[in-house]
Amino acid sequence: MKPFFFISAVISACVSVCIVLFMIILGLPLFREGLFFSMLTSPWNPSNGVFGLYPMIIGTLGISSLALVFGFPLSLGTAALISGLAPKPLAAVLRKTVQAMTGIPTVVYGFIGVFLLVPLIRNLAGEGSGMCILSSALLLSVLISPTMILTFSDTFDQVPVKTRMAATALGATPVQTFLWVVLPASKKGLVTGLILGMGRAMGDTLIALMISGNAIAVPDSLFSPARTLTAHIALVIASDFDSPEFKTLFACGLVLYGFTALSTLAVRAIDTVFRSES
Amino acid sequence: MSRRWIERGFTVFAFAAAGILMAVTMVLTGYLVMKGWNSLGLELVFGTTRPMDALCLRRPVLDGLFPAVAGTFALVALSVSIALPLGIGTGIFMSEFASGALKRMFSLFYDILAGSPSIVVGLFGFSISIFLHRYVSGQLYPCLLISALSLAFLVLPYLIRSTQTALENLPPEVRLTALALGASPVQNLFYVLIPRSLPGILSGVVLSIGRCAEDTAVIMLTGVAASAGLPRSVFGNYEALPFHIYTVSSQYMDSAELATGYGASILLFGVTSSLFLFSFIIKNIATARTAVSGPGL
Amino acid sequence: MSRMEKIRIDDLSFAYGKRTILNRVEARFMENTITAITGPSGQGKSSFLMVLNRLWETIPGAHVTGRVNIRFDGEFRDIHHRSMPLTRLRRTVGMVFQTPNPLPMSVAGNVAFPLKLAGTGKRKNTEERVEKALSRVHLWDEVKDRLKDDARKLSGGQQQRLCMARALVFEPEILLLDEPASSLDAKAAAGIEDLMLELKNTCTLIVVSHSMDQVRRTADRVLTLESGELHGCESS
Ligand SMILES: Nc1ncnc2c1ncn2[C@@H]1O[C@H](COP(=O)(O)OP(=O)(O)O)[C@@H](O)[C@H]1O
Ligand SMILES: [Mg+2]
Repeated sequence: MKPFFFISAVISACVSVCIVLFMIILGLPLFREGLFFSMLTSPWNPSNGVFGLYPMIIGTLGISSLALVFGFPLSLGTAALISGLAPKPLAAVLRKTVQAMTGIPTVVYGFIGVFLLVPLIRNLAGEGSGMCILSSALLLSVLISPTMILTFSDTFDQVPVKTRMAATALGATPVQTFLWVVLPASKKGLVTGLILGMGRAMGDTLIALMISGNAIAVPDSLFSPARTLTAHIALVIASDFDSPEFKTLFACGLVLYGFTALSTLAVRAIDTVFRSES
Repeated sequence: MSRRWIERGFTVFAFAAAGILMAVTMVLTGYLVMKGWNSLGLELVFGTTRPMDALCLRRPVLDGLFPAVAGTFALVALSVSIALPLGIGTGIFMSEFASGALKRMFSLFYDILAGSPSIVVGLFGFSISIFLHRYVSGQLYPCLLISALSLAFLVLPYLIRSTQTALENLPPEVRLTALALGASPVQNLFYVLIPRSLPGILSGVVLSIGRCAEDTAVIMLTGVAASAGLPRSVFGNYEALPFHIYTVSSQYMDSAELATGYGASILLFGVTSSLFLFSFIIKNIATARTAVSGPGL
Repeated sequence: MSRMEKIRIDDLSFAYGKRTILNRVEARFMENTITAITGPSGQGKSSFLMVLNRLWETIPGAHVTGRVNIRFDGEFRDIHHRSMPLTRLRRTVGMVFQTPNPLPMSVAGNVAFPLKLAGTGKRKNTEERVEKALSRVHLWDEVKDRLKDDARKLSGGQQQRLCMARALVFEPEILLLDEPASSLDAKAAAGIEDLMLELKNTCTLIVVSHSMDQVRRTADRVLTLESGELHGCESS
C-alpha cells in the first residue's frame, strides 16, 4: 500500500512544480528576448509594440490593498464578537453566518455587484460607468472577510480557557479580557489572516473582471477603472495564439504565482519565527 | 482614564463592524433573492421542454439551464473522482509515512498549490491543452476533461490537508490500541485510523465539491462555452452554471435572459452554501469527537 | 474574640447540566478565619469556590440556585442580584486556581494586570504596588531582576506565588485558594502556610486542601464536601 500513497504524494507535488514550470517554458521567448523584467515596469502601449504589465500590477496591488483596508477592520470586529465579546447565542449565529458566507460563489458576488453596487457607485461618483477600483475593492472586502474572520477567531480561540478564566477571576470584563489578554497573544494569527486575505484578494478573478472596468491604465483615483493581472489573463486568453498580447499571459501568470508563493512563504516564515519565540 | 475609552470604543467598533458586514451580506443576498425569486421553478431549468423528456435526453432544452446544470454536474463528478484518490492518498502518506525534509518539502509544495489563484491553475490547464494539441494530437483542444483535470488540481490541496489533519489529530491512544493487539500498520490504518478520521476527511471532500461547482476562472480558460449544449464527450465543450452567470452579466439580450442569470445565481448559491455548511457541520462533529472538554482547573 | 459573619450561604444548589454538584447547601463563614474544605476529588470543591466569585457563569451548562450573601462595608448583599457589579465582586473575592495560570505576559505585567483593568494608578504607584504584592508572597527577591521576563518561564512554585500576588494587589477581603500547595515542594508549601496565617489578619480565607497536616496547622474550621453536602466541624 505504501508505494501507492507515495506515488500520489509525488504526483501532487509534481502538479505544484509543473504549474510554474509550464509557465516558464511557455513564457521562454520572453526570457530569451530579455523582455520579462522590463515588462514589469513598462506601460501597455500596443501601437508602439510595448506590452508592459505595469498597469495590471498596480491594478492588482491597488484593488487588493484597498479591499484589505475595508476588510480588515470588519473582520477584526466580527471575529472579536465571535470569540468572546458577544453573548454566546449571538456569537453562534455570527459564526454560522460567516461560515455560510464562505459558500457564496465569487461569480455570484460579481453578478450582484454588476446590478446593485455598480449603479450605486456610478451615482456616487457622478461620472463614469461605476466600474472602478472602489466598486471591486468594496465587494472584494466582503469576499475575503470570512477567510480573515475564521482565521482570526481560530487564533483567538486558541488562548486557553484557563487563561481567560484567570483574567475573568481578576475582574476583567469580556472586552478587557479580549483587548489586554487575547489580542496581544494573537499577533501571529492576525498577520497570517491578513496575508491570507491579501492572497485571496489578489487571486480573485471574477469580481475584478466583472466590475473593475478592465481599462489598461494606471488608476489615478478611487473611481478610475483598472485591470488586474487575473482579469488580464481571462481577457487575453481568447486572443490570437501568435499575437504579442498572448505572450504576456504567461508573464502575468508568473507574476501572480510569484505573489502568492511569496505570501505562502511569508505565512510559513511567521509560523517558524513565532514558534521559536515561545 | 483613556484605557476605559479604548475599551468602550472597541466594543462599539466591534458591534459596528459585525453589523455592517451582516447588513451588507443581507442586502446582497436579499437583493438576489428578491430579483430572482420569480424565475425559480422547473421552467428555469427545463424551459418549455417536459422535464422527463429532458432528463431522458429525448428532447434538447434550448431555453433553460439544463445544459449548464448537467455540465456542472459532469464537471464536479469528473474532477472529484480524479482528485479523490490522489488527495486522500497523499494525505495518508503525509500523516503516516512522510517525515523529515521530504515531509517539509512536500508540504511546502502543497501549501503553494493551495495558495495559487484559480486563474493560474486554469492557465496551467490551458498550457496542458496547448501541449497536448502540439505533441499528442491536433484534435485536442480545451475540453471537459482538461477542465476537470485542472479543477482536480485546484481542490487537491484541500483534500490533502483535511485528510492529513484528520489523521494527525487522532489521539495517541487510538493509534496504539490496535497495534498493541497485534495489528499491522496497514490494518491499523484501514480498520482504525481511517474510519476514526472519516468525518474530517469527508468535510474536505464536501468542501472540494463546492469549490468545483462554483469556480469560474479555471473553466473559462479550459473549455467551457456559452451555448455548447449538453456535454457529449469528455473531449468536447460544455456549459456550466457559473459561466452562464458570468456571460449573462456581460451580454444579456433581454430581461428574460437576465432573469435566468438571477435564477442561476440563486441555484448555484443554494448548492454551494448547503455544501459548505454541510462541510462545516461534519467538521464540527469531527472536532467535538476529539476535543477535550472542561476548563481543567 | 467575637467575629462578624462575612459570607452567608443559604439553600445553594449547583449543577452542570443535569448533574447536581451542590445540593441545598447552608454555610456561614466568619471574618478573619481560615476555613479548610476537604473531600474526595471530583466532589465539587473547585466548583464551590467558583460560585463565590460568580466565575461559574463562564462555564457553559452550569447553573446555580439559592443565595450567597457577602458583607460589603457592613451590609450583606446577594452576589447574584442584578445590582451587584461583577468587577467589584471579583475584586473583593480574590481567587487562586489549583494549577498556576499566569497570563501570557511579563511577571510585572501579571501582577499589574488588575490595576490595568481598574484603570487606576500612575506608573510609579503601579511599580510600588507590584513590589509590595510580590514581597508579601516572598517572591520579590527571586524575581526582581526578571520582572520583564515572560511569566511562563518561572518555575511551578514561583508561578503559584505569582498568581497569589496577582490576587492580592487589590487587597481582597475574601481569598479563595484551590489546593494552594499541590504544585509546591515542602519548603514552599510551608511558606504558603505562613502567608495564609498572615493574610488572616485582613482576609477571610477559604482553602481547598488535601493535606491534613496543612489543615491542622492553619485552619480554624474544616468542612467536608461529599455527595453534594457540606459537613462542618470546628477544629483546634
Ligand atoms: N466544565 C464542566 N462541565 C461539566 N462538568 C464539570 C465541569 N467541571 C467539572 N465538572 C464536574 O464536576 C465535578 C466537580 O468538579 P470539581 O469542582 O473540579 O471537583 P473537585 O475540585 O472537588 O475535585 C467533577 O465530577 C467534574 O467532572
Ligand atoms: Mg479541584
